[in-house]
Amino acid sequence: MDVKLVNPFIDAFTTVLPQMGFPTPQRTGMTVNNQNAVSQGVAVIVGFTKEIRGNVVYNMSEDTAKFIASTMMMGMPVESFDEMAQSAISEMSNMLTANAATNLTALGLEVDISTPSLTVGSDFQIKISNEQYLCVVMDISGHQVEIDIAVQQ
Amino acid sequence: MEKVKVMVVDDSRISRMMVSSMLAKTNFEVCAMAENSAEAVALYAKTKPDVVTMDMNLPDADGIECTRRIHAIDPKAKIVMISAMKDAKLIMQGRMAGIGSFLQKPVSTNELIDTLMIMCNENVGAVAVYRESYVTTFAKVLQQSLVSIFGIQSEIEISQNEESVLRVDGVAAVIGIVGEPKGRVALYMDSETMYSLSRAMLGMDPQDDLSADEAEAAIEEAGNIITGRAVSRVNDVFKDKEMRITPPGTVIGSDIILSNPELISFNVVAKTSYGNVFMNVGFARGV
Repeated sequence: MDVKLVNPFIDAFTTVLPQMGFPTPQRTGMTVNNQNAVSQGVAVIVGFTKEIRGNVVYNMSEDTAKFIASTMMMGMPVESFDEMAQSAISEMSNMLTANAATNLTALGLEVDISTPSLTVGSDFQIKISNEQYLCVVMDISGHQVEIDIAVQQ
Repeated sequence: MEKVKVMVVDDSRISRMMVSSMLAKTNFEVCAMAENSAEAVALYAKTKPDVVTMDMNLPDADGIECTRRIHAIDPKAKIVMISAMKDAKLIMQGRMAGIGSFLQKPVSTNELIDTLMIMCNENVGAVAVYRESYVTTFAKVLQQSLVSIFGIQSEIEISQNEESVLRVDGVAAVIGIVGEPKGRVALYMDSETMYSLSRAMLGMDPQDDLSADEAEAAIEEAGNIITGRAVSRVNDVFKDKEMRITPPGTVIGSDIILSNPELISFNVVAKTSYGNVFMNVGFARGV
């Protein structure tokens, strides 16, 4: 899997989140994995296809998801990860991936993205590739979001 | 669902043929074709169609006048105008005459079918469109694929998903749909059903070794095949707006909530001797 394909996703993350009132996220880790990703509590899967095909997962703890949802809703307190908070996280994943798709187009790779699938639970794994995939950790004021990116060769 | 009768009014033979060929593989049946206004009124009275497609230019009176004449004999007649021109003035005159919807030539199959569906299901709108135009096809393909992939018969039930979450205990293969409409399919089942089906798919006996990885991969591939087939079949009917699928992502574990607040979704359950196979088909809101 080509590491340069990861930049459009990281760039989307660092550009889009500040527009929604977050401090600029910092990249704190990047690894190449081949085991299933382990859910941290909330994981959103977005598929893409056309000139390259694959999946991206935004994986975070429920606390982080509530922090993000609250910030997106102008600081409204989010006590539980309810339907409104789930919608906010779905929408964020959609915006991030759409922005990454625009960035990929600039590299000459056009992609269409699917609707996000949000999964919640304390005990599950996510498989997005039969081979290796890239795992990037982004930090937003102490909250970590793991981005898993798999592109089919 | 009963066939829905359509009368096509158009002075061009080619246009009439185009509309009837678009409806050929669908639940709509062309019961009458008229090439002028007088014939349209006579055939309407005789065949009592559920919905009429109306051209604007007719040799003896225009489509708006023809609509008035049909409404004189049936005030509830449902009429969709299909014309080369579609401007504000025409739409206003048409609405006053009782035309329910307006399409511009050339009409795409998808547009035509969705419009006719909405007109025939005034109160149900998008839900009925998704259910009849897409989900029934997905359900049929699921049933046929269970036979062709696993060699098992099933009973199928379709219902609209009223809750915003699905509960998964076991495995779920999630396949995204891009194009028009956008959405996603989740094929899911418990672990026991996953192992039984995977063994059947791979032609293995119940005592043969099968790793969790292999069983999950089998369900993932089945989800990919079933969704791919269903999407191809829908594309075959709606030739204009192509849907494509993204590679499957699989979630594995217990007590997983799959949330889809932004989707209109349907539950398809296939009851088999190996256990229930669930397929949730969801589309983004707004046709």
